[in-house]
Formats: sequence, structure tokens, C-alpha cells
Amino acid sequence: MSDDWTIVVCVKQVPDAAEVSIDPDTGTLNRADADAVMNAPDYNAVEAALEVRDAVGGTVTALTMGPASAHEVLRAAVGMGADDAVLLTDRAFGGSDTWPTSLALARAAEELDADVVFGGEETTDSSTGQVPPGIAAHNDWAQLTYVEELEPRPEEDQLVAKRDVEGGYERVAAELPVVVAMEFGENEPRTAGLHRKIYAETDFEPVEWSAADIGVEDEVGLAVSPTQVGGMATAEPVPREQELVDDVENLADRIAEVS
Amino acid sequence: MAAGADADTAADIEAHSDVWVFVEQHDGEVAKVAWELLAKGRELADQKNEDLVALVMGEDIRESEIPQEAIARGADRVLIADDPIFEPYRADPYGEQFRHLVEVRKPDIALIGGTHTGRDFAGRVAVPTHAGLTADTTELEITDERYEMRRPAFGGDALATIICPNHRPQMSTVRPGVFDTPERDESREGEIEEVDVVVSEEETMTEVLEREVGDVADITDAEVVVAGGMGLEGDFDPLWELADLLGGEVAATREAVEEGWIEPSRQVGQTGKTVRPKLYIAVGISGAIQHVEGMDDSETVIAINNDANAPIFENADYGIVEDYAEVLPELIELLGERLGDDAQEVTA
Ligand SMILES: Cc1cc2nc3c(=O)[nH]c(=O)nc-3n(C[C@H](O)[C@H](O)[C@H](O)COP(=O)(O)OP(=O)(O)OC[C@H]3O[C@@H](n4cnc5c(N)ncnc54)[C@H](O)[C@@H]3O)c2cc1C
Ligand SMILES: Nc1ncnc2c1ncn2[C@@H]1O[C@H](COP(=O)(O)O)[C@@H](O)[C@H]1O
Repeated sequence: MSDDWTIVVCVKQVPDAAEVSIDPDTGTLNRADADAVMNAPDYNAVEAALEVRDAVGGTVTALTMGPASAHEVLRAAVGMGADDAVLLTDRAFGGSDTWPTSLALARAAEELDADVVFGGEETTDSSTGQVPPGIAAHNDWAQLTYVEELEPRPEEDQLVAKRDVEGGYERVAAELPVVVAMEFGENEPRTAGLHRKIYAETDFEPVEWSAADIGVEDEVGLAVSPTQVGGMATAEPVPREQELVDDVENLADRIAEVS
Repeated sequence: MAAGADADTAADIEAHSDVWVFVEQHDGEVAKVAWELLAKGRELADQKNEDLVALVMGEDIRESEIPQEAIARGADRVLIADDPIFEPYRADPYGEQFRHLVEVRKPDIALIGGTHTGRDFAGRVAVPTHAGLTADTTELEITDERYEMRRPAFGGDALATIICPNHRPQMSTVRPGVFDTPERDESREGEIEEVDVVVSEEETMTEVLEREVGDVADITDAEVVVAGGMGLEGDFDPLWELADLLGGEVAATREAVEEGWIEPSRQVGQTGKTVRPKLYIAVGISGAIQHVEGMDDSETVIAINNDANAPIFENADYGIVEDYAEVLPELIELLGERLGDDAQEVTA
């Protein structure tokens, strides 16, 4: 293995969480009106990928699976400093749950010859956190999740992570190739530089791969997804008194009543 | 058939039975969510008329009280994978051992606590077995022959029902705090079985260099929870004082945890714990959907926030629009007097 690392960062386009609403009549989600943005935790993944590249040397390729419009999130990653980007887009991917999604990303990472694959803690739309461990499982690679800090050890082909665990932390060394899921909010994602941003938005074109290009055309989509959505219900808001009190005395009364 | 070539056949599905619960332990300390899952798992197993199986991995488990404890809390059978390779926890040996057991013994349902540990390795079981894996489940139900796993979607605005008709096992990670812990029953009897360990250090891709774990706070059992957010700017002292006075626990938003003002085990919300106390006092918390999701089952909610438009007021029974630094000292004094009076009445 060369000293330079081939780094892949998985980013996902999601509807802006602040703008998603539920149709009270049908109980379905109105996602159409919401702007499409990069999943917020994925900014932490891009930042971590760029930091490791800057420390070790190598390249960062942003990777997403989604509709053609998802090239926007790739441009955002390139604007931040990613060197290249790949868009996995194909109607065959439609309806994929985390099993085929992580398979497609895993095959693409293999195709790119990745040493390290970064992802976010979870997405704001499907919020499973299963995709990064899924990529690792499909490829039988090491994984590091809930990562707070990274220490690359290129001379040993290892990546050491400080992981958040219940009640504390641990430091784990993983052999390359490895999949890393960064804990949300653990670093300060850089903003895109002006020139880089203009390049990303005007000149840059991501590479596009179909399901067949990565050899997964029979293994993706709704049909092979083990989980299915059997229904969606609007969560009933819990009825609350919503009463404002005007002095602390009053508040103390309320607290004394119930405690 | 609706599902692709990879789906389990009807006969395969028939071959799967029993409800499995992963009993997460670190250094002999069991994560409370495991007992919560045994309680829920017992219900499901009774409904299916099948066994409830607890799976424990670690070192020196056979000599520990954990297997007996799992039986007292509802398990019919306890499988133990006992080997130094399982301590401390790592995703690859846990995932691989669990996968092996699933393939050989074919459980129908598997429940794993939605802790960092559970969420870390569950995919390493579900991917190679092509099982359905639902994340952050908050409701589990067997209805007319179909098993439904429900989970909040879109930050809690919706509740999605997830089904897994053509693949086994039907797996889920379950958020801590959503189910009650069972009553212990010392007289319950069950089988304890040690399983073959199929993983080895040579095949393992990771090494734990250091592990620092202090006490894990348990906020899910408290009757009173006093929670703080960014509005406190790090000033948690009055919260501890108020919580002490009310015999409760201190909790926080994710942002406050990230600031390092309080330990992560006290985080409430989508990526933290679910709490259901009698009284939840939210101080300097805006009421983001990801936070509200973790405290919305509290009986009474009180909000202290200096912004009248903060969404937390819509999720509160009583609120006061004022600076917390003004409210808390006075509140602590008033409650001190009142609760002091009550105490005197009781002793009188
Ligand atoms: C994938 C994902 C998962 C998440 N999971 C969680 C989770 O599990 N739990 C969680 O809590 N959040 C979670 N979040 C974050 C969540 O979206 C919010 O950002 C967070 O809850 C806000 O925390 P806060 O209320 O402390 O801070 P803010 O939103 O900044 O609110 C601070 C509040 O304090 C008030 N305030 C300011 N000064 C004073 C004063 N002097 N006196 C009184 N009030 C004052 C302000 O009016 C404001 O309402 C998650 C986000 C994502 C994207
Ligand atoms: N369609 C996708 N394309 C690229 N990356 C994805 C996709 N879905 C999930 N991911 C990655 O996996 C992480 C966790 O997502 P999830 O498991 O959906 O909560 C995200 O933060 C992304 O880094």
C-alpha cells in the first residue's frame, strides 16, 4: 500500500428537516416542498476526511447514492475541498433500505480502492445510523463508529479513533481499509473557499455510475430490501396545558403539586 | 414472489423461531436496556408460544451472576459466549459470533439495545444474514400474524411501522428507556448453555488501546428530571441543586452534552435516552423535535425559557418566560421552604 490514502466520504441529500411537514389528511410526509440539503452530520464526515487527507496525503472522493439532483451535495463536498465525486444513480436503486444502500456504497468504495470510508452518525431523514456499519459488513472491513477524534498511522496502515462509548470513551486501532462514522458535531466543518466553490458549481462534473457499473443491478432496490414500511402515522402531539405563569411563586406551586 | 432472489423461502421462514435478546454487558456490568428488552421479549415470546433466549458475550460470564439474573428476568434459555476476545467489546468479533449463532439456531426475532454498542454491531449481523434491521424501535407488536416494529421518523413527527415479511430474523435496536424493566422472579427456572466460540484474535481487525469508563448515570428511572440546555451557558450548578431538592436527576440536551457541560449518559432525545418521569423541568432548552422525542411521555412538563416563542412551551404544561438565572434561585428557595414544611408535617 502506498503512503497516500484513498479516502471516500459518503454524503446524502436529505430534505431540509426544518421544512418537512406531515399532511394531516393522508398522514404522509410532504417532502416535495422542502429544500434538498446535505445531511447535517455529513459535514462532520467531510471535514474529518479532509483533515485525514491533509495529515497523511492522498485524495478525498465524495460519494452519494441518489437521484440525479443529488449532484448538489457532491458539489458542496467538492466546494469544501474534496478532490472528486461519484454519483450512484439508477432507477434500480429506488426503494432501497439500508441493506442494498450500504451494498451499493460498499461496492463503489471497493471500486475506488478506498483505504478509509467516512460517513455521518446518521441521516436526518432515515436516521438509522446503519449505513456505515453496513458498508463495513458488506466488505468485511473494520469499522469505527461514534468517532470523536482520529489519529492516522500511515506507517502501520492503521487508523486510531477515540470513540464515544456509554459512560466514557475508548481508543481503538483499526486496520485499513476501515469505515468511520463520525459523531455529529465533533469537529468544525470548514466553509467552502470562494474559488473552490465557483469551481464546484460551474466546472466540476461528478462521475456517474449505474447499478450495473458496480455490478449490483440484481441486488438493490425495494425487492431485496428486507425491511418495508408497513404504514406511517402522524405522531399524536401529547396534549399539554401550555399555561404560562407570571411569577416564580406560582411555578413553585405547580411543582409542589406534582412532586 | 415480491421479494428478490435473495429472500428467505417460506420454509426458511418457518424454520425460524424464538425471541432473542442481546444482554449487553461490559466488565460484568449489564446495560439496563437488556432487562427492558427481556421484559418486552417475554411478552412477545408468550404471544408466539416460543422461548425467550438471552445471549451474553464476554469474559468470565459463566462464573458471574448474569445468566441467573437473565433467567430471573424472564429468559427461558441463556446462551453464553465466554472468551477473552469478547472483553472489551469490539464490533467485529461480536458481530461475527452473533451472525454464526443466528445462522445455526435461526431465531425469528432479535432485540438489541440501541446503545452505541448495539447500534455498532447490529449491522454486522443483519448484513451477512440478510436480515431486516429496524433502528431505534420504540414499539413492538405482534398483530394478526404480523410482527410490527415501530419507530419515530422525521425526528419524531411521524411514527413508521416497519415490517419484515420475507427475511429472518426480524431484528431491531431498541432505544433505552422505552420499556419497563421486569420484576425479578428468583423462582424462575431456565437453561444455561455455553456456545462454541467461532472467532479468533487473528481474524480480528481492531484492537482496543484504552478504555475509560466511569459511572453511567441512569436518568431513565428518576421520577423527577431537571434538564438543561444551551441557555444555561454551562451553569449547571443550580440544576443539581434543584434536582437534589426534588430527589431527581439532572439531564441535558445534546448541545449541552457536546459543550462538555455534562456527561453523555445524561442526554435526552433521539440519539440519547428516553425518559418518562412524573415531572420534567426544561431549563434553557428550545424544544427541538429531536429533544422533545425523548421526554414527551413525561407526565408533567415545566419549561423555563426567556424566549416566549421557544417551541418548548408548546410541549409544556406550565411555563415561565424569564431568565433562568432569575428563576432558579428563587424557585429553589421557595421549594426548599415548602418541601421543608411538608417534611415537618410528615414527621409531626
Ligand atoms: C441527527 C440529530 C440528532 C439529534 N439528537 C438530539 C438528542 O438526542 N437530544 C437533543 O437534545 N438534541 C438532539 N439534536 C439536536 C437538536 O436538533 C437541537 O439542536 C438541540 O436539542 C438544541 O439544544 P438546546 O435546546 O440546548 O439549545 P438551543 O436550541 O440553542 O436553545 C437554547 C434555549 O435557551 C434559551 N435561553 C437562552 N438564554 C436563556 C436564559 N438566560 N434563560 C432561559 N432560557 C434561555 C433560548 O431562548 C433557547 O430557546 C439532534 C440533532 C440531529 C441533527
Ligand atoms: N444514499 C446515501 N448516499 C451516501 N451516503 C449515505 C446514503 N445513505 C446514508 N449514507 C451515509 O451513512 C450515514 C448514516 O446514514 P443512515 O444510516 O441512513 O442514518 C450518513 O450520514 C451518510 O454518511
